[in-house]
Amino acid sequence: MRLKSAPILLLITGQLLYAQGQVKNTKDTILSQQLDEVIVTATRTERQLSSLPLPVTLVDRKQIITSGTVRLNEILNEQTGIITVTDESGFQGVQIQGIASDYILILIDGVPLVGRSAGNFDLSRLTVGNIKQIEVVKGPASSLYGSEALGGVINIITEKPTTKELIGNASYRIGSYTQQDINLDLKQGFKKFRYGFFVNRFSSNGYDLNEDVEGQTVNPFTNYTLNGRVYYDFNDKLSLFTSGRFYDQNQDAGFTLNDIQYEGDTKEREWNAHTRLDHKWTPNLTMSYELYYTNYLAKELLADPISTDVLSDSDFDQKLFRPEIRGSYTFAQNNNENIGLQNGTLTAGAGLQVDELDRTYFDETINFTSQYVYAQYDFNPLEKLNVIAGARFDNHSEYNNQFSPKLALRYQLNENLAIKGSVGYGFKAPDFRQLYFDFTNSAVGYTVLGYNVALDKLQELEEQRQILNVVVSEDDLSKPLEAESSVGYNLGFNLKHGRGTTDVNFFRNDFKNLIDTRIIASKTNGQNVFSYMNFDEIYTTGFEINSDYKLTDHLNISAGYQLLFAFDKQNKQDVKDNQVFVRDAENGQSVALAQSAYFGLVNRSRHNANFKVYYDIPSANTHINMRVLYRSKYAQYDTNGNGLIDSFDTSFIDGFVTVNAAVSKTFYSDFTLQVGANNLLDYTDNNIPTMPGIQGYVKLNYQF
Amino acid sequence: MTKNILTVVFLAVAFASCSNDDDSTPLDPVQAETISNLYAPQTGGQGQPVGGEFAKFDFETGAITTSETDWDIAFRGSTIAINGGVKTGTADEPERNGNVGVAEVTGTLASVTTADGLTFKQDADAAFAIATGSDNGWYNYAGSPTHLITPIPGKVFVFRTTTGNYAKVELISYYEDAPAEPDILTDATPYYTFNYIYNPNEGETSFE
Repeated sequence: MRLKSAPILLLITGQLLYAQGQVKNTKDTILSQQLDEVIVTATRTERQLSSLPLPVTLVDRKQIITSGTVRLNEILNEQTGIITVTDESGFQGVQIQGIASDYILILIDGVPLVGRSAGNFDLSRLTVGNIKQIEVVKGPASSLYGSEALGGVINIITEKPTTKELIGNASYRIGSYTQQDINLDLKQGFKKFRYGFFVNRFSSNGYDLNEDVEGQTVNPFTNYTLNGRVYYDFNDKLSLFTSGRFYDQNQDAGFTLNDIQYEGDTKEREWNAHTRLDHKWTPNLTMSYELYYTNYLAKELLADPISTDVLSDSDFDQKLFRPEIRGSYTFAQNNNENIGLQNGTLTAGAGLQVDELDRTYFDETINFTSQYVYAQYDFNPLEKLNVIAGARFDNHSEYNNQFSPKLALRYQLNENLAIKGSVGYGFKAPDFRQLYFDFTNSAVGYTVLGYNVALDKLQELEEQRQILNVVVSEDDLSKPLEAESSVGYNLGFNLKHGRGTTDVNFFRNDFKNLIDTRIIASKTNGQNVFSYMNFDEIYTTGFEINSDYKLTDHLNISAGYQLLFAFDKQNKQDVKDNQVFVRDAENGQSVALAQSAYFGLVNRSRHNANFKVYYDIPSANTHINMRVLYRSKYAQYDTNGNGLIDSFDTSFIDGFVTVNAAVSKTFYSDFTLQVGANNLLDYTDNNIPTMPGIQGYVKLNYQF
Repeated sequence: MTKNILTVVFLAVAFASCSNDDDSTPLDPVQAETISNLYAPQTGGQGQPVGGEFAKFDFETGAITTSETDWDIAFRGSTIAINGGVKTGTADEPERNGNVGVAEVTGTLASVTTADGLTFKQDADAAFAIATGSDNGWYNYAGSPTHLITPIPGKVFVFRTTTGNYAKVELISYYEDAPAEPDILTDATPYYTFNYIYNPNEGETSFE
């Protein structure tokens, strides 16, 4: 299949890889490898991975299959500098360069996915069954993608049909906790018409990490993913792509509270409809007209089956509609004239986004609209220097307009060494919850109000005589909430050495206007009213190193490491000024916190490392894929009341190692049997609910 | 003032051997005390109206009192009232008939050496001088999963008492026997443990 697709890729890249000017290695093996590694996320044009001036991680199909992963969170967690964490809200998200899931944009075939829980995007929602590759661009990318692209962009690229014959695969996998994964993937192409159809069923009986606590840690669930794609070429200039995706999950949510066994379930449902017309006006000008709609629904109902008292009944219904038009124009006439300012590629786009949310704790359905334009110029002023300069302007109905510039450079020092650096601006619009929430905790009695409704709601509460005193002025609540923003810097190099390559990247991200809650009033019941405000300034900095080495033709090893420092700037200053205290363990008296004892932000590990081995035994049609992952200690929340994480807090999770391995053997040419285990060392911690003990599995795949 | 000097003063107090020979009018030494497990239950809460008698405390005697007038501060649940100002309006609260005031200072207990220059607040209609709620008055409420109430470290309360004396207080714990790592499932509340330094000389603002 790979061989058949190579000429097509060559065709595409030949047309789009305009002004590279990179030193191209002519060795056949390396050439085909490079051609495979084409990514679209970084520039919105097809570009060779190795030629990009930005830090990018690419996870290809082979890595996904041989590692035996089934959900997106599993494979991403094995990449250097990408960590999945469960935050204090209890939901799992992904962290890149120490930046939390709230600030990472998730795309599928270039269009955004919605539906977050307390800011976290749950990546286990996505099956890897029909994914061609996962592209991760680190650092701010708001210059192309707008809101949420501060820490990076994860773009999931689905497989495209390429051949005339009906091809595809069917697989069944069963593992520990009765985890079952069933896939059927069909692809076929005719002269002008190609289609792909994919269905996945994933289920598990869940597991229990803590027998002292009643109920299971993870309850049983079943989910389905369906994806249909149609490609039609009207002529050699105009082609249509359309995709429909459906996801549905049902999870038992029953649990016991105060000796009452509540019963109920949590349902999630997602629709995506994506249509794009690609129009090649001339060999130098291509345009795309895109329509996208998605709807994410989550519903939870819990009740006492005897008294029929409802404990919780919540709804979440988010919709997004986004038409976009974009184009790319290459000024270079041919490959010999691609040097200089005048011979670059201009990519530009404009779009409209309508975002809508209706949920429990909102008075009414809320609509946001925004319009945006962006442009980017990609050129080689010198033969060895590639420059990408871009910017985007977002006009939003709820917050100040945003201008997001970005500049990236790559310089090829010699045949083996290239340096690259970039600086960019990223922002995240205040979300629906931060603006429109109206929530009162029925057990404790505190209230959380969205910023835009805070004044009105406060007045209502005052009329109901629930307010003791208001601690902020009206002015404080009438100026619009600002978007959270960051400036990210990346500087690194790529070194080719013999049979290996090494990538190093230093990063620094400075965040300001981070939105957090603060008290705006106290209530007559002794509790407070909270609302949202821009105040935190944080930074994350460190470096990552990745080395890949082909020991023999059949043995590949790689190692990765990330060093991370993530701190709140105000907290850091307060600690320095001896304004932060801890209690002496012996006598309970307060003492000033030493600077060295300030650990930094929650859920950040200073060290992350991985080591991977891939061993191919062609004579036995077998390959082995093993990964060792290390994560150093991190804290979950403040336990000693001083509002930050210090080494005296007791919520630390000690550093730990996980080992995942899979062995695959192909027989009768079309059948592959895979046997593997995740978490071979059987590491568990009650505080990491998403990680069960050792999980073995067996998978049979039939390729046709 | 450095901590070393303070340590010497404390030692002197502890051994009760200081005679203040060099002072022309000898003053009584400041008193360092620890009150453990002051029990201050409330009724209601968890969405229900709160009520119940406050547990009143008098710095002069260093003990709990039922006196209607000779008390300085009073506890109920996580709420602290002072005998100064007016009633806040909560159920079952005591009459305010003294002139107690409270000032909040950030620092260690030892670092607060005088009550001079502080601004004292009093209870008011609908507002306790020591504000209620998490991260607002004297404690932090951790929320899920620990649900712990922890006195904010580095927060010192300086009181002007009914008798016109001054005391500085550091709250240590809200849990019975002040465990270093309390657990809401096994450790009972509300049991206040606090340290204080009391100057027995009326009107004297020094804590040394």
